Amino acid sequence: MSVEIQTQPGAEAAPRRRLSPALQSIVRVAKYSGVKLVMLFITVVIGVYLTILIANMGGYVDQILRGEIREGISQRLRRDPLYRTLTPAEQNKYFESEVLREEERLHLNEPFAIRSVVYLTNALQMELGRAQNMSSDSGSRQVRLIILERLAPTLLLMGFSNMFLFFGSIFIALSLSRHYGSIWDKVTVALSPTSSAPPWFYGVFFILIFAAIFRVLPFGGMLDAPPPTNKLDYALNVMKHLILPSSAIIISSLFISIYNWRTFFLIYSSEDYVEMAKAKGLASRDVETRYILRPTLPTIITNFGLLVIGLWTGAIVTETVFSWPGLGRTAFRAIGLFDTPVIVGLTIIYAYLLAFTVFILDFLYAVVDPRVKIGG
Amino acid sequence: MAENTLLRVEDLKLYFRAGKGVVQAVDGVSFTMNPNEAVVIIGESGCGKSSFAKAILRLLPRNVEHYSGKIYLNGVELMEMEEEEYRQKVRWVKMSLVPQAAMNSLNPVLRVGDQVAEPMIVHHGFRKEDALNQAREMFKRVGVPVDFAERYAFELSGGMRQRVAIAMSLVTVPELIVLDEPTSALDLLTQANIMNLLKRIKQEMATSFILITHDIATSSELADRVVVMYAGQIVEVGDSRRFFNAPLHPYSAKLMASVPRLRATIEPEYITGQPPSLINPPTGCRFADRCPMRFEKCDQEPPTFEKEGRLVKCWLHE
Repeated sequence: MSVEIQTQPGAEAAPRRRLSPALQSIVRVAKYSGVKLVMLFITVVIGVYLTILIANMGGYVDQILRGEIREGISQRLRRDPLYRTLTPAEQNKYFESEVLREEERLHLNEPFAIRSVVYLTNALQMELGRAQNMSSDSGSRQVRLIILERLAPTLLLMGFSNMFLFFGSIFIALSLSRHYGSIWDKVTVALSPTSSAPPWFYGVFFILIFAAIFRVLPFGGMLDAPPPTNKLDYALNVMKHLILPSSAIIISSLFISIYNWRTFFLIYSSEDYVEMAKAKGLASRDVETRYILRPTLPTIITNFGLLVIGLWTGAIVTETVFSWPGLGRTAFRAIGLFDTPVIVGLTIIYAYLLAFTVFILDFLYAVVDPRVKIGG
Repeated sequence: MAENTLLRVEDLKLYFRAGKGVVQAVDGVSFTMNPNEAVVIIGESGCGKSSFAKAILRLLPRNVEHYSGKIYLNGVELMEMEEEEYRQKVRWVKMSLVPQAAMNSLNPVLRVGDQVAEPMIVHHGFRKEDALNQAREMFKRVGVPVDFAERYAFELSGGMRQRVAIAMSLVTVPELIVLDEPTSALDLLTQANIMNLLKRIKQEMATSFILITHDIATSSELADRVVVMYAGQIVEVGDSRRFFNAPLHPYSAKLMASVPRLRATIEPEYITGQPPSLINPPTGCRFADRCPMRFEKCDQEPPTFEKEGRLVKCWLHE
C-alpha cells in the first residue's frame, strides 16, 4: 500500500516556542478574554452614556427639575408666616437663596456635561441612587430596591412562559421536521400568522373569556387581595394568577416559533451526514440528538442566551393589561415620569447582563463546536 | 435463483416528485451480482446512477412518488421488510455506503473515530472502547494514521476523509458496499491511491462492491463487471474485459470513445445532444435521438437481449 503524502492541517499550526502547549493555550485564552472584556466594557460605557443623555433629554430634564424646585419652594414659602413679614426685595433674595441651596443639593448648579460623567461612573459602579418620583411598595426611594422588588414577578412570568415556549417549540419542531408535510405540519404552518398579534391582544380576550364570562380565573394581579398565609396556598394562588398572562405570551409566539425551528431543523436534517447516520442504521432518536441537535447546538445556545436577556426586560403592555407587578411596567412608568435614575438603573443592569451573556456565549461556542477555537 | 447470487434486483422503480412532474429516476432496473464481485455502474450525470444506489439502500428523499420492485439479498426479500427491522438487520450490517462527498458526510462536531465506531455500538452492542479499537484497526487497514481517530473531519485532507469514509463502510464487514462516486472530488493521484486501496480491500476482505462512477478510466481498474445506465434504465451489462474491448450498445461505445487517451492521436469524442428528460421519457429506445445507428425499429422499446453472457438493450443485437 502506498502511503499518501499529505499535509496534516492543525498538526503544526503555530511555531512552538518554549512554552508548553497547555500553557500556551492558557495564555491565548487569557489574552483573548482580557481583550474581549475590555471591548465589552467599552460597549457598555457607550450604551449607558447614550442612555443617560437620552433619559435626561440632553440636559433638558434639568430645566424641568429647576422649574419644579422653584414651584415647590414658592409654595412652601407662601405658607411660611415669617416669610410674609419680609419686604419684597428681602423675600426675593431669600427665595433665590433657597432655590440655590436646593439646586446645589441636587448638583444642578454644575454643568450637565460634568454631571453626566458623574452619573455614568455611579451607574457603572452599580450605585443606582435614589428615584426622583417613584418609590417601591415598601416606600423606599432606592432605585436598587425598586428594581429588586419588581424583578422576581417579571422573572417568574417571563421565565415560565419563555422557557416553556423555547423548549416546547424545539421539541415540537423536531417532531414536525421528522414528519414533513404531515397534517400537523400543515396546521402549524397555517397557524403561524397568529403570531402577528402581540401577547396583550390575546390577553384581552383571555380576560374576557376566562375572567369575565366564565369567572374561573382572576382578572389580573399576582395574588388575591388578602394573600394566603399558608405557603402552599400562596404558591397555588400565584400559579392561578400566572395562567392567563403566561398563556397569552405562549400562544402569541408559539406557532411562529415552532415554524422557525421546524424550518431550521428541516434544513439541517437534509445534510449529507444526517443521511449517512440513517444509512448507518442509527435509531432516529440517536440521529436527532447526535446528528441534528448536536451540530446545531451553537445556534440553539445563542437563541437561548438572547432569550435569557429578554426575560429581564419584562413585557410592558402584557404586564400592564394583567396588572402584573413586573419590571416592564416599572420601566414604562419611569419613562412617563422622567425618572432618570430608574431608567438608567434598568439600562445598566441590562447592559451588564448582555455583555456577560455575550462573553459566556463565546466560550460556550468553543466548548460545543470544535471548529471554533478561542483566540485562534 | 442461483445459490451463489448475492444481490438480485427485479424491476426496481424509484420516482420523485419534482416541480414539473414526476421524475422517473430509476425505471424498471433488474440485475444480479455474485459474492466478491465488483460491479461498476457507469453513465452520464443525471442518468439515475445515484438514485439507483439510494433505491438499493432504501435511502429515500422526502419527495418520493413511487418506490417498487424486489430486492433479494442472499435470497431474503428486503422491500417487504418493516423499516425498524430493516434498520437493525440490513443497514450497515449487510450493506454499507461510501458517499460522494466525504466532507459533508462526516458530522463536523463528532470525532471521526467515534463516527467510524458508531455502527459497532449500534449493531453489535460493542462497548465504546472496543468499538473504538475496531475503528482504529480499520484506520490502519485503509492507511489512516491511528491517532487521526481523535480528530474532527475539518482537520483532515480530502483524501484522508475519503479513507475515513471507507473505513466506516468496512467496520461492520458488510457483504456489499455501495460506493457512490467515491473519488470524484479528489485529485488524480489521490484517486489512484483510493482505487488501489479498494482493490486491496476486495482481495483481503472478500466483500462485494457496487461502484458508481462516471470516471471510466479509473473504474476499469476495479471492475469485474460493468453496468451501463442511460435515462434511468440499464442498457448494457457485461464482464469488464470484453466490455472494455468492445462494448455492445452504441451508447457504451460512445462513452468509451469519450475517454481521453494518453498516446493515441484520436480526439476524444462527445455525444451530441443531452440525455432525455426523465419526466416524460421518450417511447421506444431512449437513446434513439442521439444514436448514430438509429433505424426504424428504434421507435419501439427494445427488450434486453442476451449475447454470449452479456446483456444489451438494443435492437442491433436482436
